[in-house]
Amino acid sequence: MSLLTLIVVLPLVGFFVNGIAGNRLGKGFVSAVGCGLPIIAFLVTIKCVLDLRAGGYVPLAEGAYTWATIGGSEFGISFYFDRLSAVMTLIVTGVGSLIHIYSIGYMHEDKSYARYFAYLNLFLFFMLLLVLGKSLLVLFVGWEGVGLASYLLIGFWFEDMDKARAGKKAFIANRIGDAGFLLGMFVLYSTLGTLEMDRINAAFSASPLPAVSASLIGVLLFIGATGKSAQIPLYVWLPDAMAGPTPVSALIHAATMVTAGVYMIARLAPIYVNAPEASQLVAFIGALTALFAATIALTQTDIKKVLAYSTVSQLGFMFVALGVGAYGVAVFHVYTHAFFKACLFLGAGSVIHALSGEQDIRKMGALAKKIPITFATFAIATAAIAGIPPLAGFFSKDEILWFAFASERGGSTLLWAVMSFTALLTAFYMFRLLWLTFFGRSRVDHEVEHHIHESPLSMTSVLAALAVLSAVGGFFSIPHFLEPQLALPPVPESLHHYETTLVAIAVAIGLAGLAGAAYVFGGTGDRAERLRERFAGVHKVLYDKYYVDELYDAVIARPLYWISDRVFLRLGDRTLIDGTLNGMAAVAQRTAGLLGRVQTGSLHFYAFLVLAGMVAVVIWSWRHV
Amino acid sequence: MIETFLQNLDTLLLYLFAACAFIGAALMIVLPQPMRVALALISTMVFLGGIYGLLGVHFIAAFQVLIYVGAVMVFMVYAIMLLDVRDPSYTRIYSKLLVPGIAAGLLFFGALAYGLWHALPSAPAPAGATPGASFGLQQFAAAFLNEYWLHFELTSVLLVAAVVAALAVIKVSAPKGKPGDPGSPSPPGSSPSRKT
Amino acid sequence: MDKTQVLLSLAVALFALGLVGVVVRRNVLILLMCMELMLNGVNLSLVTFAHQAASNVGAVLVFLVFVVAAAEIAIAIPIVLLLVRSKRTLDLSAYTDLKG
Repeated sequence: MSLLTLIVVLPLVGFFVNGIAGNRLGKGFVSAVGCGLPIIAFLVTIKCVLDLRAGGYVPLAEGAYTWATIGGSEFGISFYFDRLSAVMTLIVTGVGSLIHIYSIGYMHEDKSYARYFAYLNLFLFFMLLLVLGKSLLVLFVGWEGVGLASYLLIGFWFEDMDKARAGKKAFIANRIGDAGFLLGMFVLYSTLGTLEMDRINAAFSASPLPAVSASLIGVLLFIGATGKSAQIPLYVWLPDAMAGPTPVSALIHAATMVTAGVYMIARLAPIYVNAPEASQLVAFIGALTALFAATIALTQTDIKKVLAYSTVSQLGFMFVALGVGAYGVAVFHVYTHAFFKACLFLGAGSVIHALSGEQDIRKMGALAKKIPITFATFAIATAAIAGIPPLAGFFSKDEILWFAFASERGGSTLLWAVMSFTALLTAFYMFRLLWLTFFGRSRVDHEVEHHIHESPLSMTSVLAALAVLSAVGGFFSIPHFLEPQLALPPVPESLHHYETTLVAIAVAIGLAGLAGAAYVFGGTGDRAERLRERFAGVHKVLYDKYYVDELYDAVIARPLYWISDRVFLRLGDRTLIDGTLNGMAAVAQRTAGLLGRVQTGSLHFYAFLVLAGMVAVVIWSWRHV
Repeated sequence: MIETFLQNLDTLLLYLFAACAFIGAALMIVLPQPMRVALALISTMVFLGGIYGLLGVHFIAAFQVLIYVGAVMVFMVYAIMLLDVRDPSYTRIYSKLLVPGIAAGLLFFGALAYGLWHALPSAPAPAGATPGASFGLQQFAAAFLNEYWLHFELTSVLLVAAVVAALAVIKVSAPKGKPGDPGSPSPPGSSPSRKT
Repeated sequence: MDKTQVLLSLAVALFALGLVGVVVRRNVLILLMCMELMLNGVNLSLVTFAHQAASNVGAVLVFLVFVVAAAEIAIAIPIVLLLVRSKRTLDLSAYTDLKG
């Protein structure tokens, strides 16, 4: 079997083995299979990258299976490996393997150990289908599959109703987005007659363009991306998804699944190049989401929720990059974000593990000396996300800000200003998180305080690896690597000399965020209290997430529930359908009852009926004789 | 005067007997006591016998009186005599369907009479054949046993069935431990009854 | 008015009276007697037709009706007596066991 298919199938094998036999074969076996297979997939991916380079970066394509032949068109499962797929697959298998190793330590006490690894491998399988698929159909299968795996993993501890509900919410929000995605696929298929992405891209790169509105397709596909990549208006599932185990949050909701939307748009870049309205919409939503989520993250008190909103915000950055035509830059940010966000989430997991399950940062503090490795890695990752040079986040965020300012395809000063302000907020709330968790007075509960311990090697080694990658990962310039495939947008000559200024401003923003957080949250923390009291109203709105969930509940969920209950259940099902059936039975019964009245048991009556009948017969016969 | 009377005597008698039979029948549904009703029926039957005689079928008339009055009605009178006088049906003699019954009866009579008067041709008696000629007992017996022998045999089967049924009734109605008691069934209320 | 017509009208009247009697009277034995009246009406009509057509068939049928009536009454009265013994009344409106 060919190598690309092997990459995809290895995690699937892990899913079946662990799913079926894992419980019986013990934790060691489950860990070996569950982590070993993704590591092997990673090594195979490296081999494929080397093959790709040796072949002069001509994309590798392999067909695996013909799914269906309907009419004249054939739908096959085939895999495609070019520069973009290479980057994504390396991220998915690489960071994925690291998180699998981390899970060995984190989930050690859990009773559903085998099920966890089975689901994690299932997720990896679908994600690889998504990034390696050649046809939009295979991508969509992967798209749906990661949604499923996400549901299974968010609701992993399903005995708790809230956690199960969070899983349901994720799945439903994704599904709504998928409706738009499907419509986009239908339009594409009906106009171009194919769903193979290389042919779609070729059609949109040639001239004349296909006779269909590229913006329409772009918007429809983007609706799917808002669901999967948690943008406005379908982002509401991601904060609730923190109900799942922390490695799951790291893998799915930081590094890989939520970037599927970004990947999809980057892959179909030729459509968006020709769709200025769609691109504007993408940039607008991205900027709005980034700012929105950053403001909410300022006030959250659950360590994972802060990181969740941070993810939403960073995804907004990536979409802004896509919106202004800098597709390669967006993928660069995916790459760096995978490192530092996974490191942050896993670090949070380590903190939670150390504090025996405490997640509220109001009950943390002064942990820096007690869990030093966790602290160090967390600090490095925080600096990376804040954009402090020379860490990875600085490079990718700076490129995004540059193109937001200067791109001829939608860049503007306003966009740059909004994104810079959001970057300032990002630095501020991330350093707030760092301070409140690791510095200051210890607000930890006494019982918990006795048990604080550093995490086992399986967890800390991964943290260290990710921290190193967050530090040095930025030096490998993905946008230049991807440029032959995803061209950078044109920049007017006049603006080139602003480049260094913008870099300086970006660094200043990062340091300002650090300083501001240290000032407000450092020391005794009184300043934070006073700040909160002064802006109590604003704080409440931000803390309650702008009441978006309540709005959705009132405007969408409740009317739907009302319609379901009143119209469909009571009126449609009970009254109409059951009523008709029961009514027919009742009619039959009543008729029978009425007719049964003839049997009075009285002989006089029967004889009378005979008499009356004979009269009728006689009269009738005399008339007709 | 007497000649016309004597010439049309049979017609007059026929009408007289017919009227009396009708009156007897009408009395049947008016009189309260069953014994009187039985007597009214007997009188109707006798008058009918008279009509048969006037029509010339003397042996049928004889059989009418013999079988009907002599056997059937006597049996009925025995049964009446066995039953209680204090029964409520002696006081409330009509059922709930009195009015509809009478109305339907009148309709019935009207419909049939209308049909008979208008539909059937009032054929004169077939030419030549004296009514009494083919109704002699000899001819009747010969026809009965030659052409209608099957009916004759079947009636004997019917009579056997009746005898068997009578025996069964006796066995059922006999008190326990005394099978085949040939006594007549006891009056109601005088023996422990079993639902049969 | 023709002899035949008179007799046939009488036959119909007897039959109708018998049937009305079955509907109207309460006493069980009177009911039986009304049924005999019906049979008599039929007999009369048979004899009338036999007389009118001068054929044997009518007479034979009358004879058969006699036999059947006799057999019938021989069994009907004992049945009625058993019924009366179990219901303890002669009133027909009490015999509603077959109701429903």
